[in-house]
Amino acid sequence: MLQLLWLVVAIPVASATLLALFGSNLSRRVVAVLGAGSVGVAALITLLIGAVFLASPPMGNVYVQHLWTWMSSGGFTPEIAFYLDPVSLLMLLVVTFVGFLIHLYSVEYMHDDEGYARFFAYMNLFVASMITLVLANNLLLLYLGWEGVGLCSFLLIGFWYRDPQNVRAAAKAFIVTRFGDTAFAVGLLLLFTRLGTLDIQDAMHRAAMQWSTGSSIATAAAALLLGGAVAKSAQLPLQTWLPDAMAGPTPTSALIHAATMVTAGVYLIARTHVLFTLAPSIQFLVAIIGTVTMLLAAFSALAQRDMKRVLAYSTISQIGYMFLALGLGAWSAAMFHFMTHAFFKALLFLAAGVVIHAVHEQDLYRMGGLRKELRLAFWAFVIGGSALAGLPLITAGFFSKDLILWQSWAGPNGNAWFWAAGMTGALLTSLYTFRMILLAFYGPQQLHVRAKSGLAVRVSLVVLCSLSLVGGYVDTPPHFGGTPALSNFLNSVLPPLEEVHIGPITETMTVLSASTVFALGLWLAYLIFGPKRSRQPAQNLLEQLWLAGWGFDWLYDKLLVRPFQWIARKSAADPVDVPINGLAQVTVLGYRALRLTQTGQVRWYAAGLALGTAAILAIAFVAR
Amino acid sequence: MSRTDFVALLPLMIVPATAVILMIAIAIRRNHKAVAVISLGGLVAAFGSLAFAASVLPRQVSAFFILDSYSFLYMAILLCAAAFVFLLAYDYLNRRQKHPEEFYLLVLLATTGAMVLVASRNFAAFFLGLELLSVALYALIAYVRAESISIEAGIKYLVLAASSSSVLLFGMALIYAESGSMELSQFTAAMIHSTGHANPFLVVTGLMLVLTGAGFKLAVVPFHLWTPDVYEGAPLPVTAFIASVSKGGMFALLLRWFHVNSGDITGVPGLVLSILAIASMLTGNLLALRQTNVKRILAYSSIAHMGYLLVALLAGGALGAPAATYYLTAYMVTILGAFGVMTALSGRQHEAMSLDSYRGLFWRRPLLAAAFTTMLFSLAGIPFTAGFLGKFYVLMAGASASRWVLLFTLIVSSTIGLFYYLRIVVVMYAQPEGAGETENPDDTRTLPVPLPATLALAALTGLVFLLGVYPILFWDTMVAVTRNLG
Repeated sequence: MLQLLWLVVAIPVASATLLALFGSNLSRRVVAVLGAGSVGVAALITLLIGAVFLASPPMGNVYVQHLWTWMSSGGFTPEIAFYLDPVSLLMLLVVTFVGFLIHLYSVEYMHDDEGYARFFAYMNLFVASMITLVLANNLLLLYLGWEGVGLCSFLLIGFWYRDPQNVRAAAKAFIVTRFGDTAFAVGLLLLFTRLGTLDIQDAMHRAAMQWSTGSSIATAAAALLLGGAVAKSAQLPLQTWLPDAMAGPTPTSALIHAATMVTAGVYLIARTHVLFTLAPSIQFLVAIIGTVTMLLAAFSALAQRDMKRVLAYSTISQIGYMFLALGLGAWSAAMFHFMTHAFFKALLFLAAGVVIHAVHEQDLYRMGGLRKELRLAFWAFVIGGSALAGLPLITAGFFSKDLILWQSWAGPNGNAWFWAAGMTGALLTSLYTFRMILLAFYGPQQLHVRAKSGLAVRVSLVVLCSLSLVGGYVDTPPHFGGTPALSNFLNSVLPPLEEVHIGPITETMTVLSASTVFALGLWLAYLIFGPKRSRQPAQNLLEQLWLAGWGFDWLYDKLLVRPFQWIARKSAADPVDVPINGLAQVTVLGYRALRLTQTGQVRWYAAGLALGTAAILAIAFVAR
Repeated sequence: MSRTDFVALLPLMIVPATAVILMIAIAIRRNHKAVAVISLGGLVAAFGSLAFAASVLPRQVSAFFILDSYSFLYMAILLCAAAFVFLLAYDYLNRRQKHPEEFYLLVLLATTGAMVLVASRNFAAFFLGLELLSVALYALIAYVRAESISIEAGIKYLVLAASSSSVLLFGMALIYAESGSMELSQFTAAMIHSTGHANPFLVVTGLMLVLTGAGFKLAVVPFHLWTPDVYEGAPLPVTAFIASVSKGGMFALLLRWFHVNSGDITGVPGLVLSILAIASMLTGNLLALRQTNVKRILAYSSIAHMGYLLVALLAGGALGAPAATYYLTAYMVTILGAFGVMTALSGRQHEAMSLDSYRGLFWRRPLLAAAFTTMLFSLAGIPFTAGFLGKFYVLMAGASASRWVLLFTLIVSSTIGLFYYLRIVVVMYAQPEGAGETENPDDTRTLPVPLPATLALAALTGLVFLLGVYPILFWDTMVAVTRNLG
């Protein structure tokens, strides 16, 4: 059954190709069946593979499917091979399943768009690239998936390309992540040249054998990979592209934020965690980056007016939590939070899509009172929002976030600062989440609801709602009689942190304080943004700064973009170009000279034949 | 001739037998569809007989033929290429030619000639195969009699090919005079003992003259001058045939008898071949640079590609021959696809030759534009296409033989080549000019692509990608087949 693994990649690729080539001639129904069906089949196969994998685990909990070697030269033997272990299986399940629900939703959501087939072609390719990235057993294939994800995000953010604003956002996402891609590529080359293998597992083994902890080479390699991860996962200092990525259709945002793209960085670090263990300073940096990003983005989310931008900053903030967990060495906690986040963030984006579709408005301050007419979207927001804010015991987000907070306090690398920051972040999360819900769904209704959602949208929302509620029960804290099934499952790949024994009172206290923080956020949100308050956005300086995402765009514009453009303008006619243009001119001269030989006359051609023969005879005799 | 000999020769007999059947059929009644079906059937039967006859390999039949896995592999490639030419030609001929039937007859004869070249083991078979190929080509190039450019190209080819054949014949005579043997294996011997002093004067002279003849067929510099005129004048399917089958057959012969398994080719033949290779790579790419006629661009580019092939031949050793075979296969698939797209775009009156007729093609015919883009990328050697891996193998072979000058030239000239391939791509994706164009009833932009051509183009595009991402499928066979050469 595991042999079917290649189909999980092949089916979306095939469907994307078909849609790209023949999409414009197909009816919408066929496009929908192909586009959503292909990912659905991939999800089913993944489920099947997952069941077999759990029921009878392959040797060493790893299954490798070698398809073929692309080419072979020295040690450079990029294979087309897929590597399935608990981590990639978890990623695969989330990517295909959440991806399928988003596709299902899009069948209805995008129905009236003229680029229907084009949209599904891009989306399928997006999912296929992500699966390639997840399953790659070697660095080159991983890089292929990595770049594919980048390309598809560009195509989808700029999907409505007639508006230059969207194209600009797409270009921004592409260029900003390019910084990371470059660092990542250099890192891969470094690993390949120093370790002499492209195989990821081999490379990790050799690194652990050959490099000592804290050695400069390990630090450099980990730092370069971190550069790639930071860009793809929208962490400081390369987070600026994600809020603008809202320009794409809403399902695209759901896909980028929940199932693909931004989680690639988290996966990359978890996949190469051996390297980060060898470079403790970089691993600590990961935790710092995660913490700072989490807090800054949470403040920004607090001031946004655009519903989708709130969610975008919330994604940056939540990925910050995952980075914090990675930095603490709590690998499985990061993967757990990735999973629950995929559920509730996809849910929130899709529900936001329903709202935006219904009222044609994204500004929270112009919404209000929508809870009566958009009941499903309202409940989706309540459930997704509670999971995001961590409503204790009954939402998925609570368990995963609690695990991270617990590790930041009691883990071997944790300390009070990380815990305090995590708690502050949790408070802010609760605050901005309920601010959004209160502004959109309570208070006087200002907008007319124009569209109701159909079956496909409702099904995907309901399924995601239930996943956001029960998704956390796969890993419950052992101290309260729970079983950390997911962590145990991942343990064969991601080493667990050593157990810290703390009394049940402390444990209870941490859980209680997490609950308190949730309630505090909710209460504060009610006080400030509740239905009885004035509905004017505050205009003080700090909120202006938060609204602008701490002014990073402004800073980068002054610091990088403008100087770069200035240099480019100044050096437009510099002497460096002369030899290059000169080369081009030499080739053109060569063309002009040689063209004279093509006279079109047979007698000249025959003479050429004779002269040529004479010439090679002469050469032969001279050289003899 | 024993029964086994007969079996081994089956592929070589089925193709001309089909030609004879066609002659009779055409004499009885002209029917284009029937003729096309019979010809394709003949090719399929010959292809099937390869599998059937493979059991008696390797085998020498009389003094003329050597039938082994090498010649069978190349025969299979040539038969497939000829079949693609038929598929592409069918509608082209329907559109443009009153009497299309003899085209198939001539192509079958020319294919027979190429197959004889692949299987020949002495001068007589070599020369007979070459002439069979050439004589059929004279008629094929001038096949569209209404076009004066076609007639002109045919006559040019006739005059020049006849001259080069006579040079070739003279070279053979010199070698025979010195050695008293007609065996082609003398080439191999001469290549292995390739320092000038080990070879008698007459043998070296003869070898050079033979190279002239072979170089003319392959169109390497300085015997390339005919290429653009003939490519331009010949009907598109014939151009595709010249570029694939005619050159492929000739190169297979060259590779078999000039290849040195123990190392690269050095000495006088090595020097001369290197000069030919370098001159071809540079000249071909430079001449194509500012061309605006796509047929001529591909003609010049073919000169460069033959230069790349010579690099693999010169590299020799264990990698050279399979690399050359891979490159040639990739090139044949690609060039058939490129000319195939052009054929599909050619209307009743005009062939789609000028660069202008491709302006904005993507917006009118996205699938054809995508196929053409694939072919151009493959010719330029962009990753994931056949051309990339072909070039990769050639570079690998060259590097393992340390032929750095050749490799440097290859890389520089490929870079120059990138310009004119990508220029066509850019033109195809440029926005079409305003809507004020007059609608032409013979407009190629609305012409439907008929089923045979669609099938052929889809298969060729698929092959380009298959060769580009799954090379092991072909490479292992090619290594095995070329192991016993030289």
